[in-house]
Amino acid sequence: MSEPGQNMNLDYQTEGARVSTIHHAVRREHAEPEAGDEPVRFGWLLIGAALLIAGGGVLGTYSGGFSQDQTYAFAYYTGAGPRPPGANGDDGSAKGPWIDVWMAEGKKVYGNCVACHQASGSGMAGQFPPLVGSEYVDGGTKRLAAILHKGLTGPITVGGQSYNTPNLMPAWNTLSDEKLAQVATYIRRSFGKLPEGESGVVTTEMMKSAREEFSGLPSPLPTSELAKLDPAAHLPGAQVDLETGDPLGAAPAEGEEKKVP
Amino acid sequence: MSSTSPGASPQDMQERAAIDRSVRFPVMFFFTSAAAWLFAATILGMVAALKLRVPTLWDACPWLSFGRIFPAHMDALIYGWAMQAGLGIMIWMMARLSRVELRNATYIIVLGHVWNFGVALGVLAVWSGFGNSRTWLDFPSMLWPMLAATYVLIVVTILVMFRVRRDGPVFISEEYLVAAAVWFPWVYVTANLILGAKGSAVMSAGVTVWYMQNLLYFWFIPIAVAIAYYIIPKVVGRPIYSYPLAKFGFWTLAICAGWMGFQRFYGGPFPAWMPAVGGASTIFALIGITAIAVNLFYTMQGKFSLMQFSPSLRFSLFGMAMLLLFAVLSALKSFIGISKYLQFNLFELGLDTLAIYGVFSMAAFGAIYFIVPRITGCEWPHGGWIRRHFWFSTYGILTVLVGMFAAGLSQGASLDAWDTPFEVSVKVAKPWIVALVLGWVFIAFSNLGFFWQLALMFVGKGRRSEGPTLIHVAPGEAASAEQAANVAKGTAHA
Repeated sequence: MSEPGQNMNLDYQTEGARVSTIHHAVRREHAEPEAGDEPVRFGWLLIGAALLIAGGGVLGTYSGGFSQDQTYAFAYYTGAGPRPPGANGDDGSAKGPWIDVWMAEGKKVYGNCVACHQASGSGMAGQFPPLVGSEYVDGGTKRLAAILHKGLTGPITVGGQSYNTPNLMPAWNTLSDEKLAQVATYIRRSFGKLPEGESGVVTTEMMKSAREEFSGLPSPLPTSELAKLDPAAHLPGAQVDLETGDPLGAAPAEGEEKKVP
Repeated sequence: MSSTSPGASPQDMQERAAIDRSVRFPVMFFFTSAAAWLFAATILGMVAALKLRVPTLWDACPWLSFGRIFPAHMDALIYGWAMQAGLGIMIWMMARLSRVELRNATYIIVLGHVWNFGVALGVLAVWSGFGNSRTWLDFPSMLWPMLAATYVLIVVTILVMFRVRRDGPVFISEEYLVAAAVWFPWVYVTANLILGAKGSAVMSAGVTVWYMQNLLYFWFIPIAVAIAYYIIPKVVGRPIYSYPLAKFGFWTLAICAGWMGFQRFYGGPFPAWMPAVGGASTIFALIGITAIAVNLFYTMQGKFSLMQFSPSLRFSLFGMAMLLLFAVLSALKSFIGISKYLQFNLFELGLDTLAIYGVFSMAAFGAIYFIVPRITGCEWPHGGWIRRHFWFSTYGILTVLVGMFAAGLSQGASLDAWDTPFEVSVKVAKPWIVALVLGWVFIAFSNLGFFWQLALMFVGKGRRSEGPTLIHVAPGEAASAEQAANVAKGTAHA
């Protein structure tokens, strides 16, 4: 390989380039690379397919229907609004009425729901039922509690619209009774159309009784099972004083207790 | 022409030698000035990390405040080191692959000086407090047209070489080089034009992250991949496993990358689809990166032992391993449940550093270790320093990555807890910032040997020898990494 090269009449000839003087690094190296033409294997396409599905999931779940008005609310507490008194080093002395704290906490828990039901409770047309104008929110607390505890599956009609989304709603029984009571209160008072005189409050005791009552039901709850519950039935338990949060007990305020069976 | 036999014909050798001679001065100019910028950037990086750990240190001096040092460090690293090293590699590799001699070396050297002047002006402006606080676009806004024009004028020569290439199939590295050459001006000019339009402040934050992500996926990663696709067959002496797969990887990257960026702002005040599209395309881009990784793995199969000896191979393959890691981490971060804890905090810095140093710079070192002996006519002086360069760079980048991951996680968890004061999220990350300091100390140390060796090569004081400088082999003992591997295995070299 080291014999002198022929005269190739190239312009570097003036520099006396002959193979014997070419640097060793250049002499010993392999020829310029080429590419083989092995076909793409089927198994690799599966990796690509899995990643496509994952990416599509991100796009579908988080894109908010590609609406310019839909800013980010998913999995964040953006809908939570003012923080409850007592947070952030506040000693709690400036606490407002009990119901305000209870609602603010409920709004925080509602952060779990905004991805589907939206901060405004309007749901997503054709996919997730609304909470505004929903007979399940406006009606008795028993059905609402069953949905919260057990989730839902199957076709359902809400506010005259039918929905048939698979895995319609997950069960939220991993949340404490208190949190479920707060969010149920928040939903009913914010989005519900309550009968005259009803406060819409759901207490921790009520949710606790619901947890016991529905423990035998399947999860997620088929909508056919849900239909068996009395639409007007309320959970058992005493109503509370909206100012203090104390149970109203044996002497209920006018117009409140009689709604509770 | 056989693709696997070393040496090839005397004509081939003469042609290669002529090409190397024609690009020698511009390429060495870019490499040495890049190395000088890297030196400046590592020093600034150490100081910035130290300031982050001990904010009260030298607090009387505004020139040493974190807000100036850190952007100066990043800009020196990107525009000083990485882009110049990349340009040098592009010129050499394009000339080699097109089998064309460079006709206008002086023109490129002049433009290279202009680029250096622009970057120096920009870094000094940022350092003296005239930066505009847009990440990676901190240079005063009058500078960008000059830098963009200089870049375009330089890459025109690369595109011309590609245009007049000798007939034959286009190698995959050429595709990446051409793409990187034209993508950068597009990304850079678009970002700067939109930012200059004085739109909403929120959107300019969005444009900045779009630019950052696209600089990574449209410039740094393509060049790193081009290097790997070139160096690996060169050292191993095999063709790239599959051209269809390589093309698939290229186009996946080309199609997906431009959509990225906003996923850094999940939960930000943007229409929800913007981050969602960014996140999804980051996951889609992982398909392309996986294709690259699979292709290189099959090309390397059975030859991994060569990594022990060949510095070029070791650095560029390490860069590719880091690329896979980077792409996987980026894809994971595109899920909101994970991103929740890893965005808006130090983990992003860890990830960016991984891309710039772990992926691009390591691959670039591999290319430089390959190119410089060929264009200077002497061998690297000391294999031991190459080994130290590799290991301390590896320690450095992994320390930064792991430390920033831990810092980001603790910061993110604290940020996510709405009832925790913001201050806490700063305090919990503080212990981990030691990793950032330590990482940059390692990187600075690793590069000392590199600078010294490069300076020796530059002035022609490299080793005069027939054999290459290999790692773990005494000079002159083996004529190639392949031979060294055979000796190590106890088989005679045929």
